[in-house]
Amino acid sequence: MNMQALNKTGLWCAALALMLSFSGCQKDYFVYEINDQTILPVNSQKIKPKSITQYISILYTNFFQRAISPNSMLQAQKAIESIGDKQVAFDILLSKYMNDPKVILPTVESMRQDPEGFIRNTYKRFLVREPTEAELNWMLNYIKSRPNVTPEHFYFAFGTCNEHFHY
Amino acid sequence: MNRRKFIKKSALAAAGTVGFPYLLPTGLLFARQPSLKAEHVVYVQFAGGLRQQESVLQRYLAGSQNEQIEGNIMYNLLDGKPPVDKIAYGTDDKQNNIVGAFPINQILQTSLQRQGTLFPEVRFSKGGAGHFNGLSTGVSGNYYVTAGLRQRTASPTIFEYLRRHAGFSATECWSIGQGVTGSRPLLNYSAHEDYGRRYGGNFLAPLITFGAPGQEHFMDFKNYHPDTDYEMFREIRGFLNKNFSNEGLEIPHLYNTPEEENSIREFIRATFEKVKEGRVTMPPVNDNGDLKVLGFTVELLRWFKPRVTVVDLNNIDVCHNDFTAYLKNIHRADHGIAFLWKEIQSIPGMRDNTVMIVMPEHGRDEQHNSIKDLNDWFAYDHSGSPNARRIFNLMVGPGIDANLKVGSETNPIGDAADVVPTIADIFGIKDQVKKAGLLDGNARSLFDRI
Repeated sequence: MNMQALNKTGLWCAALALMLSFSGCQKDYFVYEINDQTILPVNSQKIKPKSITQYISILYTNFFQRAISPNSMLQAQKAIESIGDKQVAFDILLSKYMNDPKVILPTVESMRQDPEGFIRNTYKRFLVREPTEAELNWMLNYIKSRPNVTPEHFYFAFGTCNEHFHY
Repeated sequence: MNRRKFIKKSALAAAGTVGFPYLLPTGLLFARQPSLKAEHVVYVQFAGGLRQQESVLQRYLAGSQNEQIEGNIMYNLLDGKPPVDKIAYGTDDKQNNIVGAFPINQILQTSLQRQGTLFPEVRFSKGGAGHFNGLSTGVSGNYYVTAGLRQRTASPTIFEYLRRHAGFSATECWSIGQGVTGSRPLLNYSAHEDYGRRYGGNFLAPLITFGAPGQEHFMDFKNYHPDTDYEMFREIRGFLNKNFSNEGLEIPHLYNTPEEENSIREFIRATFEKVKEGRVTMPPVNDNGDLKVLGFTVELLRWFKPRVTVVDLNNIDVCHNDFTAYLKNIHRADHGIAFLWKEIQSIPGMRDNTVMIVMPEHGRDEQHNSIKDLNDWFAYDHSGSPNARRIFNLMVGPGIDANLKVGSETNPIGDAADVVPTIADIFGIKDQVKKAGLLDGNARSLFDRI
């Protein structure tokens, strides 16, 4: 075999090796015939803020298990509008409600006896959904690790959180 | 270290602190400007539509009511003798059933005009002469031709400039509203995307917060422990908020720190106690809403010692249908502003360290409407006529020239949009505000107009 023929063969071999190496890296593509799905957080559909009257109405109903009267609603709306920082205003409003003997809260005993049931019900009551596993675990751990935490703390936090203000 | 070395090192350190730039909470570098004229500013929007004729021109009834009686019914603010006849602006003589018969005693021995600088002819130069437009121009330094009610200003407010460029905290900036109508609760921050709620000032409408609505829904609110209870609220709420991943969707709070939130709650609790016990510091005469608002403003100043406070009045707007009540309320606003100034001088930290600015948001028409009051005096509207664009500006405090008058009827000097660059000037951020390019083209610091 002369030198020229040897070079030609070498070139062919190199080209073949290159092709094989690229085809070896190619990812297998499987078709399962399932449509692509966009996975979003459970609360991603809540994109609209409640109006102050909607928020107060729902908050009041959640804490007193009855509807707020129209006159009281009007006064509550004005009171909220009179404070610029709405988080502070909502905190004060709810603190006022919490001082009312007619407010309806689960007992500490019932929360401790069935913490999972308490958490699931609280999510449903305020956020109108089930908690995710991660949320449930976090809340259960919180109850376990905080001997002083009461349903009031949970109701206050749920009642004044961002998700509760949106629908 | 010997004494000489200590003094030398201290002086060097002090000089370094003043000259060096420092980091704002926003992460921006701010070259500290040592030329602060005062540590505090209180800006009173003498609002409701005030005519020059009944204020700086001291015409009283002359020209407006076919009664040739002149005189100064704002003798705490302005130099000039009060009217001697047809007294209808004071407190009522109930025994003889004479409305407004007794003028209110002067609070200040020296008028604010004599203590400070008066711009007697300022112009509300653009846009409609409506209350919200006027108030918006006052706090944002820009005019709004098309803005409607229930809309925030398009340009940033003075609160946003100060929080963003001077690093003020939320409780150092307060907007105090005479009520919640007329979009007053929207004056604490703008809709501008580079500023907005992140840099907003706090807002309070004390007549509502501590009036019937607040008494029903806020008073005697449960006193949760700020550390133990609120720590748990914040932990649980923080977890829930973190999981609510829709960006920007949150309860419209004002970025008060937990300590500031607690301070606001405690202020509200303490003030309710004072309301119950009748211990709120009120002006000697406090028979209208403006005067009560000024009383609550003093309580707020004492509690927070804010760097900037904007308070608006409103009662003189009764001029649409009752000229006598308008005169009474002008006289009361003068009384209330004098009371505010006097009380500021009793607040440690604010005494001799506060500049007060007083300016109506716009004027009123020269021609009356057809409504007559109990004295058969005609009422006046505000329609955007040239007379409704005439206002004044009065500044008093450290660094303000005393007994100075700048401009005249024939030589108007100053614009309603000037207050924002003036406050920015007082706090040493005039250049940053100017550079933002969001002020009206005519707006200038009043110090530059002198």
